[in-house]
Amino acid sequence: MSFTVEERGNANSLSYRLFFKNAEGKYISPFHDIPIYADESQNIFHMVVEVPRWTNAKMEIATKDILNPIKQDVKKGKLRYVANVFPHKGYIWNYGAIPQTWEDPAHKDGDTDCCGDNDPIDVCEIGSRVCTRGEVIKVKVLGILAMIDEGETDWKVIAINVEDPEAKDFNNISDVQRLKPGYLEATVDWFRRYKVPDGKPENRFAFNEEFKDKDFAIEVIKSTHNFWKALIGQQTKAGELNCKNTCVSSGDSPFCCSADEARAAVGETCPCGEGEPIPSSVDKWFYYERK
Amino acid sequence: FCSSVRQTAAAVPHSYYPRKTMHYQTEQRGHPNSPDYRIYFKTSDGKYISPFHDIPLIAESEQNDDVPAKKPKSENKVLYNMVVEVPRWSNAKMEIATKEPLNPIKQDVKKGKLRYVANIFPHKGYIWNYGALPQTWEDPSHKDKETDCCGDNDPIDVCDIGTQVCSPGQVIQVKVLGILAMIDEGEMDWKVIAINANDEDAEKLNCIEDVRKSRPGHLEATVEWFRKYKVPDGKPENQFGFNGEFKDKDFAVEIIKSTHEHWRALVQKQTNAGGIECKNMSCCNSPFQFSADEARAVVQSVRASKNRLRQQQW
Repeated sequence: MSFTVEERGNANSLSYRLFFKNAEGKYISPFHDIPIYADESQNIFHMVVEVPRWTNAKMEIATKDILNPIKQDVKKGKLRYVANVFPHKGYIWNYGAIPQTWEDPAHKDGDTDCCGDNDPIDVCEIGSRVCTRGEVIKVKVLGILAMIDEGETDWKVIAINVEDPEAKDFNNISDVQRLKPGYLEATVDWFRRYKVPDGKPENRFAFNEEFKDKDFAIEVIKSTHNFWKALIGQQTKAGELNCKNTCVSSGDSPFCCSADEARAAVGETCPCGEGEPIPSSVDKWFYYERK
Repeated sequence: FCSSVRQTAAAVPHSYYPRKTMHYQTEQRGHPNSPDYRIYFKTSDGKYISPFHDIPLIAESEQNDDVPAKKPKSENKVLYNMVVEVPRWSNAKMEIATKEPLNPIKQDVKKGKLRYVANIFPHKGYIWNYGALPQTWEDPSHKDKETDCCGDNDPIDVCDIGTQVCSPGQVIQVKVLGILAMIDEGEMDWKVIAINANDEDAEKLNCIEDVRKSRPGHLEATVEWFRKYKVPDGKPENQFGFNGEFKDKDFAVEIIKSTHEHWRALVQKQTNAGGIECKNMSCCNSPFQFSADEARAVVQSVRASKNRLRQQQW
């Protein structure tokens, strides 16, 4: 199964969109139409890469837009770039989402005592290759961190690209601790502090900031997949979410999106053009020690 | 002693003459990330120069234009020119080519391969803008008293801790804040710690302790980085003089002065140059001084049929 992306608009601007297509060239939603599993028997999941390691632009699957393209998050009218919190430069893993998952805001999580953040579940991919925006890769799940971001449950799956040269050595969270010492600590540190330069408080975590292992992670992912199934099956209210898809819903579902409708949606966006430069303010390195 | 000052004030022997800030242009040959890539330097009126020999060590800060000539400035106000070789967060090991005429910037090659510095977790590439102070030279025949090591045959290295990410070939004015005594593969390899004078924090930073307070962790990370950066290439960890402690600004200035004197002896042929290319445009009393026409000929000869000419002005 392979996927391609189609760029629209200009990188580093409000117009930028990354639409997805399947191997047959049909427009699809990266939220709803890419299967959660690359290989269910082996617990290999698909991951949609939103932010390549070491970059700052906060790119996200647009859950409220038709066909859910990737676009840059906007806060207070400005394009969002994540701060560099010393010693880190941008994101410290390839960052993205597992398709066909959803953290339901109406559901209060038993472990975090917080409601879901209304988004697909997030993944941090720790392999050595820097992926590209919109790339769909296959990952082995290794563990999970229970972050509470601005009062909402925001699980962070830790995973590795199955094609990483060292992938066979990574089978559980303890392997990450052993083979990449400092990486898990840096991950907690990053998530704890990354919004402080924007004036937000440090984030909190459940389980004493410990990472839970692979089996626990897979259970959490499965539960977010069930929330998504209820969403796409109209058992849960979508609210502002756009559930249109071209491969999953049957013809009589209001969520079924025809090829024409998909093409029209893409056609309404700006044609692909040259990217804008990234503002130099994004290079600032924020120094402060944890409280 | 030179009776006519032709171009830059490098012709004037006393290093502490205040003078106007010079602006430099660069001219690229070849393509980045290739062995043919070169960045040549020119003055703002288009004359080719060497960034090693022809850019003055001491720069002028604009606010001191009204200081009368010949009056030495207080050490606090002295700004140095820095030739940026490697932008922060990048990996290509760009260097002033000390053994090529006009000393352009090029990418270092080791064992036939273009050199890229490893990412030492948690760091990405270099953690400062990195480069050199012009008109300085760590003399390999000079043994440092403290470390008992000889110089590494290069201009003295600088780490700029300012926020702006600079470009290779950019010439900036920096305040010196301190220095680290690194011993790289057994050779003395001082690392000056400095800040771009245009940085918004530059006014408040005057000594190494100020750096420790305003950028907690960065000095420790600097030692770690230099200690480990060659380990992925199979080299051992580097060592340091003074227990890896940073010496303060006054000490740094003394080291810089001494490497400036070693450089002067080099271009005046008082010292064996070894492989160093000493051709320069502006150093009076230098037997290596050559003409603008000769300089142009050097750059033209580098032009190959596929090379593109790209110019950049600072």
